[in-house]
Amino acid sequence: MAEMEGYVGRILRVDLSTGKIWTEELDKSTAEKWVGGVGLGAKYLYEEVPPGVKWSDPENRLIWTSGPLAGSGVSGAATFNVMAKGPMTNLAGASQANGFFGAYIKFSGFDGIIFQGISSHLVYLLVQGGKAEIRDARHLRGKDVWEVEDTLRSELGVKERDVSIFGIGPAGENKVLYSAIVGDRGHLAAHNGLGAVMASKNLKAVVAYNGERNFGIYDAERLREKNKEVFEAAKTFGVIYEWGTGGGFSALYGIGALPIRNYTTNIYPEHERMNGQYLRTHFTIRSKPCYQCRIAHVKEVTVTEGPYKGFVGEEPEYELLAALGPVIGNTDLGAVVMLTREVDRLGMDCNEAAWTIGWTMECYEKGVFTQKETDGLDLSWGNVEAVRELLARIARREGYLGNLLAEGVMRASQQVGGEAADWAVYARKGVTPRTHDHRGQDRWYELFDTCLTNTSTIEATWAGVHPKFVDLEEPSDSFSHEQVSTFNARYSGIRQFDDCVGTCRLAAPNPKLVLECLNAVTGWNWTLEDAFALGRRVINQLRVFNFRHGMKAEDEMPSTRYGSIPGDGPAEGVNIMGKWPWMVENYYRLMGWDAKTGKPLPETLRNLGLGELVKDL
Amino acid sequence: MIKVTIELWLSMGEELGEDFRSLSHMRSVLEATVKEGTTVGKLFGQLADRYPPIGEKVFDRKTQRFCGDVVVTFNERVISPSDVYGRILGRGDKITVLPVYAGG
Repeated sequence: MAEMEGYVGRILRVDLSTGKIWTEELDKSTAEKWVGGVGLGAKYLYEEVPPGVKWSDPENRLIWTSGPLAGSGVSGAATFNVMAKGPMTNLAGASQANGFFGAYIKFSGFDGIIFQGISSHLVYLLVQGGKAEIRDARHLRGKDVWEVEDTLRSELGVKERDVSIFGIGPAGENKVLYSAIVGDRGHLAAHNGLGAVMASKNLKAVVAYNGERNFGIYDAERLREKNKEVFEAAKTFGVIYEWGTGGGFSALYGIGALPIRNYTTNIYPEHERMNGQYLRTHFTIRSKPCYQCRIAHVKEVTVTEGPYKGFVGEEPEYELLAALGPVIGNTDLGAVVMLTREVDRLGMDCNEAAWTIGWTMECYEKGVFTQKETDGLDLSWGNVEAVRELLARIARREGYLGNLLAEGVMRASQQVGGEAADWAVYARKGVTPRTHDHRGQDRWYELFDTCLTNTSTIEATWAGVHPKFVDLEEPSDSFSHEQVSTFNARYSGIRQFDDCVGTCRLAAPNPKLVLECLNAVTGWNWTLEDAFALGRRVINQLRVFNFRHGMKAEDEMPSTRYGSIPGDGPAEGVNIMGKWPWMVENYYRLMGWDAKTGKPLPETLRNLGLGELVKDL
Repeated sequence: MIKVTIELWLSMGEELGEDFRSLSHMRSVLEATVKEGTTVGKLFGQLADRYPPIGEKVFDRKTQRFCGDVVVTFNERVISPSDVYGRILGRGDKITVLPVYAGG
């Protein structure tokens, strides 16, 4: 085949039922239509997972795809996407992880890997030099993801950065529905239970080797110039360069967007002892950057005060600070570092875990759960040692509560029923939002998006932040139902574009610069319009997939608590739900979908090059 | 004349000079005296003229609008940008400026 700059040009196929391994060419037309990452994932998922296939069936695919920028030298570009039919929603699930894998899998000879089937025993896959081998992993059973990394590196006789390893922990092995795929010491593809899908295939880990760049770059000089601009843009992108994602913690508190005690209050005076600024000025930190990342926001941290003084772990990202801090009523930053290590090594999505435990603590406070149900655990707000034990029980599905909570907060709350069913925070498609309080008016972008997005169940708009990056006008009133709904529709697609190309949104936050890097690498001449069209193609492909797999438009809304009215704090009394139906209809129309059913209209699909899907609706 | 409070959660302590009091690493506070009838927009226009870092990072002197990467609360409540500029300040009012933040 002719060389395609930015691509190795090969997809690795692995049938775990038969042990067969083969490769397929990634042809030019496919690359130009779907690019990579979530785009290629959407293509293969749609084509190969028909309606009726369950998430744990051998016919489900587990699709790991890199993108053309991964490994190209663009700052931090080693992101890959994992796609499957996910157990939380029983719909399409897509999640991106950073670290090294997105680059290393290309250096190992492939743009992506597609797993199918179910192995008869626990295995791992080793990929190196254009070849792959399925290896026995029974000795890794029960090991957490850190132990898996340590064991495999030791067995392979390699150093830390010689290989990238992603795998599942005990939570995955026990099919906790929100288990994650974790690797490179703390990077996760966390959403929609993709770790459980991996476990269902008896696949414990994937190892990819570092190596030389084995694909062309169309205009290396231009790429170098643009990469400098990418770095400059990242340095001035909010507070992240200086303070990490935790630098926004108190800012969110100030507008009522910090999630506190399962949305029962918005008061948390300890916020300044729990934020990124405090952490980086009081704890000891050491940079642990992702592949060729120049902003290096990922750190290792040593706790220097409090009960966990001396504990060494990864610096909690914002989501973890919120999840393992205010959501569960914890006010000790050192404990967040400790719990971060726990939830990561067990292999769980921190968001779902936190909302599940926060709901459990509210149930305990209100007497729905007693120490009989908790098997003796005192689940009072902020009891971090009890949370540590509960996380372990969930990962093992141990006892009544461990097994119940392993299903996630929507299913757990529905099983318990009564008033408690209304206390759970989730989007009705089946999963939870990021650990924000999206009810405050300046967060409505994200609440709306979390309930309606199709690429995953995580928001894709970034809340109207920096619309000028992509030549959109800032809404004059982000507290307007009309403007929020309209803005989300106009912004829709560009973040899915990001998730196709293999870059990190923090290291390369400006999509127009990412686009210029894409053109420099591939030799394409894409416009911003093309980038939006790619993202919308992905959205619509997955939306049709979701409808075919049972999605209902009436599920595109928040749970009772998620859409409730804050009772105190900066956003007290604001109410999004009064105009929800109007927002949804407006959004559907602007997206080119039927205003009532939400199904993509035939002309919308045809305009995006998806005419072949019309018959499927 | 009335007194109002301006609080910036923008880690700008040293940049702002001695008029601002540091409450923490990120929070700086200014107790300002303004004429009755002063609006929030007018007050921040004056602050941007007087304190160059505010003109650069908080309130655009040309457009007389808050910069795109900050959000504002009024008396510790979220407030619509369309409402804030014309809001007439009262005794003891507090305006807080915070960095915009999303995702996580």
